[in-house]
Amino acid sequence: MNRHEGRPQIAAGSVQENRVSARAGEHSRPSRACTPGTQRWRTAWSVPGDRSASAKRILVAVFATMFLVTSARGDSGQGAPDVTAMSVEDLMNMQVTSVSKRSQKVADAAAAVFVITQEDIKRSGARNIPETLRMVPGIEVARIDENKWAISSRGFNGRFADKLLVLIDGRSVYTPLFSGVYWDVQDVPLEDVDRIEVIRGPGATLWGANAVDGVINIITKPAKATQSQLVQVEGGNEQMNSDTVRFGGKFQDKGYYRAYAKYFDWASGNGIAGQNAADGWHQVRGGFRSDWTLSRADSLTFQGDLYNSREGETLTIPTLSAPYSETFQNVGHYSGGNLLGRWTRSTGNSSYSLQGYFDRTNYSDNSLFVDHESVFDIDFQHDFHLGDANEIVWGAGYRSIQDSNVSSFTVSVQPNHAHYNQFSAFLQDEVRFLDSRLRVTFGSKFEHNDFTGWEFEPNIRFLGSISKTQSAWVAVSRAVRTPALTEEGLRLNDVVVPPGAPPFNSPVPVIEAVFGSHQFQSEDLVAYEIGYRVQASNSFSADIAAFYNNYTNLRTAEPGAFFVEGSPAPPHGVVPLVAFNRMSGGTYGIEPFVDWKALSRWELVGSYSFLQMNIHKNSDSSDPTPDLPNGENPKHQFYFRSSLELPKHLQQNLIVRHVTQLSSLNVPAYSSLDGGIRWTPVPGWEFAFNGENWLNHRHTEFVPDFVNTLPTVVGRSFNVSVTWTSGKR
Amino acid sequence: MGFQIDKESLIQPVAQWARVLCVCFICAALAFPCPAQTADSPDSSEYLIKAGFIYNFANLMQWPANTFSSPDSPIVIAIVGTDTSGGILDEVLAGKKVAGRPFAVKHLKRGMDLKGCNIVFVSASETAHLDEILHLVKNLPILTIGETPSFAQRGGIINFIVVDDKVRFEVNVEAAKQADISISSRLLALAKIVPQTDGSKVQ
Repeated sequence: MNRHEGRPQIAAGSVQENRVSARAGEHSRPSRACTPGTQRWRTAWSVPGDRSASAKRILVAVFATMFLVTSARGDSGQGAPDVTAMSVEDLMNMQVTSVSKRSQKVADAAAAVFVITQEDIKRSGARNIPETLRMVPGIEVARIDENKWAISSRGFNGRFADKLLVLIDGRSVYTPLFSGVYWDVQDVPLEDVDRIEVIRGPGATLWGANAVDGVINIITKPAKATQSQLVQVEGGNEQMNSDTVRFGGKFQDKGYYRAYAKYFDWASGNGIAGQNAADGWHQVRGGFRSDWTLSRADSLTFQGDLYNSREGETLTIPTLSAPYSETFQNVGHYSGGNLLGRWTRSTGNSSYSLQGYFDRTNYSDNSLFVDHESVFDIDFQHDFHLGDANEIVWGAGYRSIQDSNVSSFTVSVQPNHAHYNQFSAFLQDEVRFLDSRLRVTFGSKFEHNDFTGWEFEPNIRFLGSISKTQSAWVAVSRAVRTPALTEEGLRLNDVVVPPGAPPFNSPVPVIEAVFGSHQFQSEDLVAYEIGYRVQASNSFSADIAAFYNNYTNLRTAEPGAFFVEGSPAPPHGVVPLVAFNRMSGGTYGIEPFVDWKALSRWELVGSYSFLQMNIHKNSDSSDPTPDLPNGENPKHQFYFRSSLELPKHLQQNLIVRHVTQLSSLNVPAYSSLDGGIRWTPVPGWEFAFNGENWLNHRHTEFVPDFVNTLPTVVGRSFNVSVTWTSGKR
Repeated sequence: MGFQIDKESLIQPVAQWARVLCVCFICAALAFPCPAQTADSPDSSEYLIKAGFIYNFANLMQWPANTFSSPDSPIVIAIVGTDTSGGILDEVLAGKKVAGRPFAVKHLKRGMDLKGCNIVFVSASETAHLDEILHLVKNLPILTIGETPSFAQRGGIINFIVVDDKVRFEVNVEAAKQADISISSRLLALAKIVPQTDGSKVQ
């Protein structure tokens, strides 16, 4: 396998074409100043919602019709066209559609890889990146409120989930602040996405620390593939409005570019008791990408984005005076930007790439915390063949992180201004035996960070071809999650226990506060994985992966010595809970996926995820927190999609999802029936109507950790979109 | 119709139904991967289309007069590298004839002798070894077909490209001349003609 920190890329000596294009990715996020100050605005942009009786009526009717159409058409199959009877002209007009598109990309990977194609995105009706990930086995996607998500791979989910690495076109969008992802500001025009590669399991050898349980590579199309102009307007009850404009052009045959602008506005939702949660949000962003061909071997990519986002929430924070907590509507501002450049040289037997980017994120959650992060990253990779049997990849990188923050009573991170450095290098060899029927990949990453020093993350992977259409793989790998800034220097005042109240019965208020600590070490994982995949024919593929993960040194919150402070007034006691590494245990799971073109116009996709977590505190832990990560993740998840091509350029999709309960969060199991219809009456025009949760099974999907944001209910939503693309034949 | 249905009573059965359906579907699919292979293969997959093109290419070009030993000797097609089509080419060409000649499809590894072949299809898996493979067939009357960017520029005769989900092809006319293969003008009219830019004249 291949790939480090930067550019996306599927594991293992996979399809070359893939490797090349994979290097070409990257995108959006960070930078801008934020308006400090003003707290707690009542958001003027909170809006109606999904409730309108007549709309409901129409939706149900439309939906029922779709159902009937589906069942009526179920049986009229077509045989394979006889391509030898077709003329060259006819062949040139045939549209390529195939299951194998997805699986070719992963056929040679000795890892659990899933590729979301552009067509998958359209068929899923997804409105943003988190929603596209719902189809991936092994990935948990839970919405907290309209603009916050908890997303993780193979367990340990949370708003601040810290074991998943996400890259957009080779740029890591993980924040060193808490080792997680601000999902609310990770966006690209979905039409420009080439594919999203999701690797479950450790990817640390190539991507480094924090690629513990998975890596998500969001890869946009090269500028050459987006030369047309595009205007897209969407609207619905939840996403009230979303507008995207994109255009492309050429620099005298030597290069191509595109630029886009996007705006969206989401309505606020409701808490479980029906109250308005004031969690609407709107965001504007713009960006560009240009790809240059310098010579036959050399190419250059430049790209960048800017965004500004304003997001609401209903927040509860502790206070030192009665009633010792307050709940209010809070507004957060996020802004940021990034700029990335990458040079790639490919010659017959080797390829080099050099990539650098700058990424700025400004985060201002007025009542809680203000943070500015600047990340500068430079990364080199060389990939070459040694003899006939060896393919070697090595690389080195440097990352500089600058953080400055402004604390509040609730949250503070020390120091307020800091600069951190990370150095890394990796080496990996893929050796082929038995006519390439067996491939062994082994290598390691070596990484230095300011908190824990050197870390090494080796892996070994075996991929065997059982036949032309079947392969199996096994892998053993080690990954670490290095401490986040918060785990070193955080103080989070979680709860204030009023004077005289149990369990302290103290004469003054007592704060239960979570503290970071310099003794906090990396969390460790050794993962054992096995997988099998089959591409039985052009229309059927299946993939199954199973894993056993053994974690040690997971984070706990250990009680420290009680102390009293006078500031801020009134004097109060503090019960500290300090970050330590005293939890361990195993998780295991199995993730099958099937893609079947039952008929030439009917595709069925199904996946299932099973996850069992047996995490326990070590005997030396006195962490009083009752919740282990075990009950915060669904044990079973099901996803099923039917996609049907209808006459008259119509395409219809139906999705059924089921997610079982999160026992320790008291979140019950839920099911959702999603789907919609797409119509392309003439080339260049596309109309889509999609809905989520058609049966209006109102449910919450998660309860947030650490920061007490009001979770909101997911109800029925619908979205209409009109897309115009110039010059498309 | 249905908008007055009591939602609560609907949800349970649907959840149940969804669960059962998914499990059945996945089990069935996992247990019987093979039927799919025989029961279908329809659909316009990229490689099905490419196979159609290859058949047409064979039809629309001429090898040098002494290439075939007898009027019914087969047109030998070698697939070099991983068969990205998963056997589709074999299936499509089985039993088909061009000018009385059947097809014989061989699967070869890189480095194997290509001399007896009439058409060589270089799989995308061989991207890193194009120059080596093209060198092997240089000046031989072999139609080389590739599917990687710059295949034709580097001396291959025909290269498939996929543009907007449609299969297109490039032709390097100079390379065809060197191989002494004549391509019908009808085919050339539909191709994107590309120049040779290999080794000697880097541009």
